[in-house]
Amino acid sequence: MSLNWLFRGGLVAYTALFFAFIYLPLALIAVYSFNSNPVNMMTWEGFTTDWYWQVLGFKTTVSEAAMYIESTGQLLAALRNSIVIAFSTTLISTVLGTALALALYRYDFLGARTYRVLMFMPMLVPDIVLGIALLIFFVNAGVHLGIGTIIIGQCTFLISYVFIVVSSRLAGMDRSLEHASADLGANEWVTFRKVVLPQLMPGVMGGALLAFIISMDDLVITYFIAGTDVTTLPIFIFAMLRRGIKPEINAIAVMMLTFSFLVASLGLYLRSRQK
Amino acid sequence: MQDAIVELAGARKVFASPEGGEVKALDNIYLDVRRNEFLTLLGPSGCGKTTLLQSIGGFVRLDAGTISIDGADMTRVPPHLRPVNTVFQNYALFPHMSVEQNVGYALEVRGIPARERREKVGAALVMVGLGGMEKRRPNQLSGGQQQRVALARAIVARPKLLLLDEPLSALDRGLRHSMQIELKNLQNELGISFVFVTHDKEEALTMSDRIAVLKHGRIQQIAAPREIYDRPANPFVASFIGVSNMFEGSIDSGSLVMDRGETLQLGRTLQDCKGRATAVIRPEQFSLSFEQDTRAGIDVTIDQVIFVGAGFELYARTRGGRELVVSAPASARDDVARAESDRRARLIYVPANIHLMPGEGGSQ
Repeated sequence: MSLNWLFRGGLVAYTALFFAFIYLPLALIAVYSFNSNPVNMMTWEGFTTDWYWQVLGFKTTVSEAAMYIESTGQLLAALRNSIVIAFSTTLISTVLGTALALALYRYDFLGARTYRVLMFMPMLVPDIVLGIALLIFFVNAGVHLGIGTIIIGQCTFLISYVFIVVSSRLAGMDRSLEHASADLGANEWVTFRKVVLPQLMPGVMGGALLAFIISMDDLVITYFIAGTDVTTLPIFIFAMLRRGIKPEINAIAVMMLTFSFLVASLGLYLRSRQK
Repeated sequence: MQDAIVELAGARKVFASPEGGEVKALDNIYLDVRRNEFLTLLGPSGCGKTTLLQSIGGFVRLDAGTISIDGADMTRVPPHLRPVNTVFQNYALFPHMSVEQNVGYALEVRGIPARERREKVGAALVMVGLGGMEKRRPNQLSGGQQQRVALARAIVARPKLLLLDEPLSALDRGLRHSMQIELKNLQNELGISFVFVTHDKEEALTMSDRIAVLKHGRIQQIAAPREIYDRPANPFVASFIGVSNMFEGSIDSGSLVMDRGETLQLGRTLQDCKGRATAVIRPEQFSLSFEQDTRAGIDVTIDQVIFVGAGFELYARTRGGRELVVSAPASARDDVARAESDRRARLIYVPANIHLMPGEGGSQ
């Protein structure tokens, strides 16, 4: 009896520790982002929202010496680049990944199996290897590094993510619905538009959201193929860190976290609604 | 042929079996479906009945042979261009559409305007007894209701032929029986042909104008239910359609002489037959007697008597050890009671009513 109680208590403690391990750092960042101490953010000095205002380019009482960001313009430019890239790669990889999943699900052609295995490769290859490979490829091909190369480079592995999410949705789909549609007089295109795609939509949306978030977040591969002119948000933050951790970073992190959370919530909401 | 809506000629289809062999799902099938007929394809699982249905619907491409529907060759025509609709075994309702959208799908695909569509959908739903359910989703309906939606969806565009793939198998017993009658009425009302697949012989006997019994991809017999029941073409049909007492033997001067020395008197019309044959006597064709008289009969001992509500089932055994099943109506209560207490009886049969099939093979 007491052993059982001990076991249960241990389990509860383990669970609590587990969540603390995952979420405490995030909570700390959120707390520090409101700390007014500009020098040592481990020491609580007082509550302020100045760091947020600072990041967003408003005049604040923060002294010039305490700030890292030289111009909010740089930050916003990096953010804009990231968003442009994320939307482009999401669109391209979602369309191509979905088409690929459909083709491999529907048709049994020569090499289909090999193709399927190859689609998992970009996820297994270490980022740094993929980054170097892409860099060498682009340089040899004489392509100017920039937003274009970032979009192409990110699509190479984002297609795989979309492919896998959509494929798993396809695997659970009822093939007889397509038969029913054909039986009722719909040709392949109408069947795809009215029956297959609506059934597939949660998978496609899930794949797109995943691609968007990974794209916004990608540092290693993007770093290699970004060239010298283009800076994305992760690259910008990484560059900031080399000059020491400043409180603005906490504010940026919290805003990114909030954004990701909202996107993920939207995804879950759409999924629950379409079930 | 003018009165055939569907004609299959020499249809063949071979599937690869998991063991690496071949399974003949359709083996040289010739079949005519008549206009306004309720035709049932009946057989055990794996007999090819579903393949046959799917080849009419266009989902199975024949290896050989031709199909024509309403006089037009449809052998290579894809499903969406065939004037045929199907009620699928699992209903295959579109889960992301309302009942109204499901039923109206065939009309929408044909570009029929929304108002006319709504009228026809409403009428079809009333026809299957689901008026007022238009806005529901399939997952908000019971199994029986989903079944009706699938039916309404298949008839709304007035196909020339309705295919039904074991549509009642998922319903419970009571509901199944009432749906059987409703389906039959619906077929009369619509005035189109139904091709119905089932493995349930009761269902087949209840609803069909004709039954095609299949086994190993071949049609064993195609005839009206009573004909199939009374005059099965072979021992397989006899045993698949209802309980049969079968006697194998060789015909000798008006009698069937069985291997264990027992004999069965045959009717006058069968006197001239020769060779090996199997005779069928249905359980209800026997009547109980206790006297030795001139009537043809078999002396048996009674093993067991079972009360089945509308009557009795008696399990009997001949002197040669052959097991027989006899069914007696409730009105024969006194005779049954006596047979049960005596443990023996004489089973009277009418020689002229014995049905004789050529060849061997009692069970299956």
